[in-house]
Amino acid sequence: MHYVIIGGSAAGISAVEGIRETDKKSKITLIGDEKVSLYSRCLLSYLLAGTINEGNLYFKKKDFFKINNVDALLGARAQQVDLKNRIITTSDKKRIEFDKVLIATGARSKILEIPGIDNKGVSALRNIKDADEIKAMLKKTRTAVVLGGGLIGLRAAYALNNKGIIVKVAVKSPQILSQILDKTAAGLIQAKVEQKGIEIMKGLEAKEILGKDAVKGILLDNGKKLECELVIIGKGVEPNVELAKQAGIDVGAGIAAGEYLQTSAKDIFTAGDVAQTKDIASGEASLNAIWPSAVEQGKIAGRNMAGGKEKYDGSMAMNSIEFFGLSVISMGITRPKAQGYEELSAIDEKRAVYKKIVLKEGVIKGFISVGKIENSGVYNTLIKHGIDVGEIKDILLDEKFDYAKAMPLIKKNKEKFDKEEFRDSVITY
Amino acid sequence: MSPATKKVSANIKNEKALKIFCDIRKCVACKTCELACAVEHSKDKELLKAIKETPLPKKRRHVSDSFGKTLSVGCQHCKEAACVAACMSGALYKDKDGTTKQDKDKCVGCWMCIMVCPFGAIDRRIEEHVAVKCDLCPDRDDYACVAACPTGALFAGTIDEFEKRIREKR
Repeated sequence: MHYVIIGGSAAGISAVEGIRETDKKSKITLIGDEKVSLYSRCLLSYLLAGTINEGNLYFKKKDFFKINNVDALLGARAQQVDLKNRIITTSDKKRIEFDKVLIATGARSKILEIPGIDNKGVSALRNIKDADEIKAMLKKTRTAVVLGGGLIGLRAAYALNNKGIIVKVAVKSPQILSQILDKTAAGLIQAKVEQKGIEIMKGLEAKEILGKDAVKGILLDNGKKLECELVIIGKGVEPNVELAKQAGIDVGAGIAAGEYLQTSAKDIFTAGDVAQTKDIASGEASLNAIWPSAVEQGKIAGRNMAGGKEKYDGSMAMNSIEFFGLSVISMGITRPKAQGYEELSAIDEKRAVYKKIVLKEGVIKGFISVGKIENSGVYNTLIKHGIDVGEIKDILLDEKFDYAKAMPLIKKNKEKFDKEEFRDSVITY
Repeated sequence: MSPATKKVSANIKNEKALKIFCDIRKCVACKTCELACAVEHSKDKELLKAIKETPLPKKRRHVSDSFGKTLSVGCQHCKEAACVAACMSGALYKDKDGTTKQDKDKCVGCWMCIMVCPFGAIDRRIEEHVAVKCDLCPDRDDYACVAACPTGALFAGTIDEFEKRIREKR
């Protein structure tokens, strides 16, 4: 048996662990297009901010490949998956025969197609190379403009602010973090970051990046020019589906993953940011390009590649971020657009504490917590298991809501909570 | 080692006893476990000194009301630990013995673990900006909370042992 894993980040690495749980011997080859593997891209903004050093960027020990007996081909790109002849060809002209493949090619930063985008001093913040480029620019940078008010954009803004750089964020939407937060929560975060000196400009887009070779400034669509030496693109990510598409594998928004994380092609599996999986909250096939999903999917895909038959329950949009000590957690459907949803919320503006719960037919579908984020995972569990919370609806917004309050529902739905960790609750409640 | 750490209770750690369970019918919300936990995680491991520490030592168990009943809950060391999957820095990990451990130096305080823990068993230690949870008392031969529990609600062992105990006493 020869397993080939394409992708050296969260999903690919987790798949190695999934395979090795049962198959200690078979050959594993991992192809990663970045020269550096085993690092956590989510930590790049922390590295940039200077809150961690380079050594703490790695989420696995340096000898991970050796310990797990993996032949890691780093700095090489898989160029073609030939399903008929069962061969993968790489950018360095290797031909690799395979028995089972995991396509975990991840996602890439979306690029803005505007004049000046290739100027020196324009960067995304997706991989180590981006972080190095930005770091090299810091000394020369007085002002930075971040394009995009999403997670990465704002984390980058936070990091640069931490480095003493003047930061301005141009956001297309009428609010920041529009993908994950509602207006109220976004308002609390915005107030916090503005208080710390980050300027947020809403409803604006970049029209052109100014400067002949190096960045000199930016032209916005309202005609306003901003001087800056650094531009960070934070416009979200798109999945690297090309390899799968070329091989004739079913691709929707991402690579279509079945309930065992198999693709439409025999012996080919997928996981991570490139995979389109069932969203637990909406029930629809979705791209939830987040770290926890990549790790879980990689693990299950790996087990199934090694002969297991484990179902993947589905993914859910969720995120946790913090700006200047103000924490926010968001999960599921936080801004329902369709009919039939009920929203509960409570705010204490003085303390910047906010909680919102989105329900549909008595089941929690979305959740936001700002400020006091403890116990957020209890809501997560109720969403994941699709529990009717009707009987405890009136206490869901309490700051003291915790696992103990959910116990009657755990007991009532004991067939859904069949994992060992819930058994003591089920037995004794 | 202080005298407290030498104390050995009936719930000695061994290969099997790596989890702590609460018999909700016996918990009377006295919070002795919370106090014992905080003291065990203080610098001096003595109550009188611990209460003077800055920052105050932090408990890793939560005693909470559940509609007239009470529960003492902490990290359940889940087999498929959601916190470990969510931990983007690699600070949380599964140890060979199946317990969920934390390398505090790697924690960046992103709180992804808090976002997914079904039990609300992970807290923020604001002063150090790291997540804290039950570490199974590495400096003791037993568990501080279990040893301190005056009603026998807390129990260290396997889930099967716990279940057997509950059934026998019913």
